[in-house]
Amino acid sequence: MSFAQKARYNFMKDLGAPALMWLRQSQRKKRPRKPNPYLGPPLKCAGRLREIMTRHYYLSRFSKGAKPVAWVTSGAPVELLRVFDFYTIYPENHGALCGAQKKGPEICSEAEKKGYHPDLCSYARIDLGHAFSGKTPAGRLPRPDLLFCANNICQTVLYWYKELSYYWNIPLIIFDTPYNFQDIREKDIEYMVCQFEEMIPELERISGCKYSHDRFMKIIGIARESASTWGRVLATMKHRPAPISIFDAFVHLAPIVSLRGLPIALDYYRILLDELEERVAKGIGAVTNESKRLMWDNIAVWFKLRDWSLLFAERGLNFVAATYTNAWAETIHYLDEMSPFESMARAYSLVVLNNSLNYRLKLMEQMIRDYQVDGLVILSLRSCKPYSVGQYDLRRLLGERLGIKSVVIESDMTDFRAYSEEQTRTRLEAFFEALEV
Amino acid sequence: MTKTQMTRKDYLLDQKQKGRHIFGVFPAQYPKELLWAMNVVPAEIWDPPVEITAANAHLQPYICSVVRFGLELVLEGKCDFLDGFLFPHTCDSIQNMASVIHDYIGANKPCYFFYHPKNPHGKAAREYYVLELKNLMRSLEKQLGPLNPDALKQRIQQGHKISSLFGEFYDLRAKGELDVGNGEFYEQIRRGEYLFPDDLIPELEGFLARNKGKGEKRLMPVILSGVLPNPPEILTLFDELGVRVSHDDLLIGSRRLLVPPSNLKDPFKQLAESYFSMPPCSTKGAPIVKRREYLLSLIKATGAKGVIFNVVKFCEPEWFDVPNLTDELKKRGTPTLVLDTELNQGLSGQMKTRVEAFVEMIS
Amino acid sequence: MRLWRFKGLSMTYFAGIDIGSLTTEVVILDSNADMLSYSINLTGADCNEAVDQALGQALSRAGLSRDQLSFIVATGYGRVTIPFSDKKITEISCHGTSAHHLFPDTETVIDIGGQDSKVIRIDKEGKVLDFTMNDKCAAGTGRFLEVMAGAFRVSLEDFGQLSLKAEREIPISSVCTVFAESEVISLIAQNQAREDIIRGLHSSVVNRIWNMVQTVGVHGAVTMSGGVAKNRGVVVLMEEKLGKPIHIHTEPQIMGALGAALLAKRHFLQEK
Ligand code: SF4
Ligand code: SF4
Repeated sequence: MSFAQKARYNFMKDLGAPALMWLRQSQRKKRPRKPNPYLGPPLKCAGRLREIMTRHYYLSRFSKGAKPVAWVTSGAPVELLRVFDFYTIYPENHGALCGAQKKGPEICSEAEKKGYHPDLCSYARIDLGHAFSGKTPAGRLPRPDLLFCANNICQTVLYWYKELSYYWNIPLIIFDTPYNFQDIREKDIEYMVCQFEEMIPELERISGCKYSHDRFMKIIGIARESASTWGRVLATMKHRPAPISIFDAFVHLAPIVSLRGLPIALDYYRILLDELEERVAKGIGAVTNESKRLMWDNIAVWFKLRDWSLLFAERGLNFVAATYTNAWAETIHYLDEMSPFESMARAYSLVVLNNSLNYRLKLMEQMIRDYQVDGLVILSLRSCKPYSVGQYDLRRLLGERLGIKSVVIESDMTDFRAYSEEQTRTRLEAFFEALEV
Repeated sequence: MTKTQMTRKDYLLDQKQKGRHIFGVFPAQYPKELLWAMNVVPAEIWDPPVEITAANAHLQPYICSVVRFGLELVLEGKCDFLDGFLFPHTCDSIQNMASVIHDYIGANKPCYFFYHPKNPHGKAAREYYVLELKNLMRSLEKQLGPLNPDALKQRIQQGHKISSLFGEFYDLRAKGELDVGNGEFYEQIRRGEYLFPDDLIPELEGFLARNKGKGEKRLMPVILSGVLPNPPEILTLFDELGVRVSHDDLLIGSRRLLVPPSNLKDPFKQLAESYFSMPPCSTKGAPIVKRREYLLSLIKATGAKGVIFNVVKFCEPEWFDVPNLTDELKKRGTPTLVLDTELNQGLSGQMKTRVEAFVEMIS
Repeated sequence: MRLWRFKGLSMTYFAGIDIGSLTTEVVILDSNADMLSYSINLTGADCNEAVDQALGQALSRAGLSRDQLSFIVATGYGRVTIPFSDKKITEISCHGTSAHHLFPDTETVIDIGGQDSKVIRIDKEGKVLDFTMNDKCAAGTGRFLEVMAGAFRVSLEDFGQLSLKAEREIPISSVCTVFAESEVISLIAQNQAREDIIRGLHSSVVNRIWNMVQTVGVHGAVTMSGGVAKNRGVVVLMEEKLGKPIHIHTEPQIMGALGAALLAKRHFLQEK
């Protein structure tokens, strides 16, 4: 890591990025968006969020050479990497960004040209396509020095990171989290702790930094706090009307995914929480006329986020709960300085996708009660097997047990070539009829 | 009646009569020897000949057909005579199907789950594997009574014997000294998916004795990669075109069958050592380099003229590996053909054309 | 036993028959590899009947009878159904052979037929080095354009011309034919200029093919064969992608049969 690169990074971090943010901000002020009669007033925080994420992607360009760079899966225990000062890039978050900007098919096809099958997870195809072609709406992503992958969300990430590792000849560290077919077992935790012990020397070698226990403790503390604050942010949706919707939460999720363990994420969620509590006090809802409350199952359909938030809001429907946004609040608060590694193993292996479907069923039942949910939208995602296999039965069982109305729609989160507007509309309209809205 | 003449179902029922426990085992990697030692006959479920109807109410159309066929078999009640299920943690789809059966549909019989490490590089993984074996043993003991340590040793010996027999199969095949059709070859290989070792060993020995010798008419050696040799019509087509599968990198084939023996004392450590020295497999997180080297070594050893990747549609572990593998092989002068297959659907005209064109190309 | 041996005729003739699911083509060559005649017929329900008809037509155009043919190669999906062919060869090899014969600098062949499309890489001798074919779905084939032309109620020929008249392109996102059709219908309902939609549809086909081209790699000159090569809308867009002109025979549909006839000649000489 050269001094010049470090200096450049620091300069950009302290001066370049803020200047850019200021510039964007002043440009934006000139054209305020028209308020929509069905949606509540926009969150004041949204600007800050944009700033944080733009800065994150902007700064990443200068990180190469100044800091060790790691590409990390969304469920990886990034707290450990933070000890070694890695600049972390989240390809899944980048995939979502490409999806939201409707760039999915274009970048995916860069991977397909190399022989990657269009049936494969589109986050992986976007990432590989980006790796091959450099295409991204985020300017430029730094090439990693390390690939860090946890299979607690799926095995797909393992196959995908293996490809990157081979293609670039870059070390890959796998954090293997045994699937909890039933309850988690002591030996699973031991295994995961052993893996942490094995990876520390590797991380030291790659980063050139020594492991510092004090630093780790501090990071764990921040991560836990951020996750619980995020949890409280989500819990505000228990109020009627909910001050925020899941569609907003999909967007405000970015810092807890990408910047977990950094003070900036914690600060952000504190501000957001304050704003939401204020809204609750004043009775301001995300949807002007909240009549029925919905739950979402699966990842967001990024290219439809805006359209759909309107479509549902027009009918007084608000999404107040989702298993997806919940995932980053669910277990990270297990982190505990008294047993840092064991607790980290637990926190990361107990996430919803690494648990049995029975667990998921119970979790959803609980959420439906806690959030007073009236209807369920199940998104069947062809990209994501672990999230989607079992949804038909899940739907049936929730219907039988709670009498909840639901609909299954088919799509992909970014690749809209696999999406049919007409078909989806028909299904949603039938659902609206069933909900009598 | 010999074991081979019996249908698979009859054989399993006969075994049950003899007091053995029959387990339905889903793909792919699991400790057979341990099951044998507990008097369990593992009957593997890959591509049963059923029509997928009931499973469509549980699985989306973008799930691979191995999983769909497996669930169909369960739903149709064709597994009712089994004494238990074992689900190895092969991929996301199997993982969730296991949970669907166990948690949502209800299997009405004991369900076991076997997690094999996906981070095959460190000591932690080896230790974990041993613990996972013991864990499986303890859970099985609750149903089936205590494990006899000598039985385990004996079954491990039989396991070695079977691997070496399969090793001979492949060696002879490579040299063109096993004069049977491609279909017959794999039929024999796949008997290992349900025969108990006491029957499998004589069966394989008999087959070798009958068919060993020169005179192979299929002159074009190719390597077959992928999950399994289905549709079977593809093997017949190979016969017609004079193609001999000279070796394979199939999940049901060499990736599982060629298990190097271990000399360690402790039987569990022995199983672990063998497991970690098996050929590289995508479902165990093997790095691409290893798989590439393995394929290259097979090409070299058998003089194969090309590699055919017969990949099950929607199979994530395999499809991710395909582009880099084909690319590397082509760079080194070995032509490759990639087929996207649905199981038990026969050969479409297009698939036939692809295979024939490939053979014309390498001829 | 062939008649010419008795008659001692010095001239030998070869036939290539390409039985596709939509059309059957026949090409007759003489021993100098000059094309004497060809025919194109619909395959219809009865493959054998179609072959008899097409072969009869081509023979009568060449002024020959069937027993004057020295060697017959059958190709296309129906190749297995012809009882009297001397050899069956896949269309991949045939297209490679004819492209090389007509345009010797060809190293990449793009064949877009009614049911499937393929990209073939050949060496300087016309031997196939690599190839790829479309997957099961119809996207990226002539069938896709046909269905879409149907949605606009225009003929296939006009369809390509209309695409060239577009002022801009409305991208069609769905690849699935069924989804795309409903997408198109809703675009028509929105009163979008039909040329622009049609251009989008052509782009969609070309993009699919382009992905296949990339997996095989572009080498040397490119030749296009198959019925869709007659569609200027597709050709122009593909040339834009390639950044170079594409060779196209005046009857791109008969390239499979021509390759088969050429291979008939080659095999005849080899066997002799
Ligand atoms: S979308 Fe699903 S399969 Fe893809 S990376 Fe995320 S969890 Fe894995
Ligand atoms: S074929 Fe592939 S996806 Fe299907 S069960 Fe086997 S490993 Fe899993």
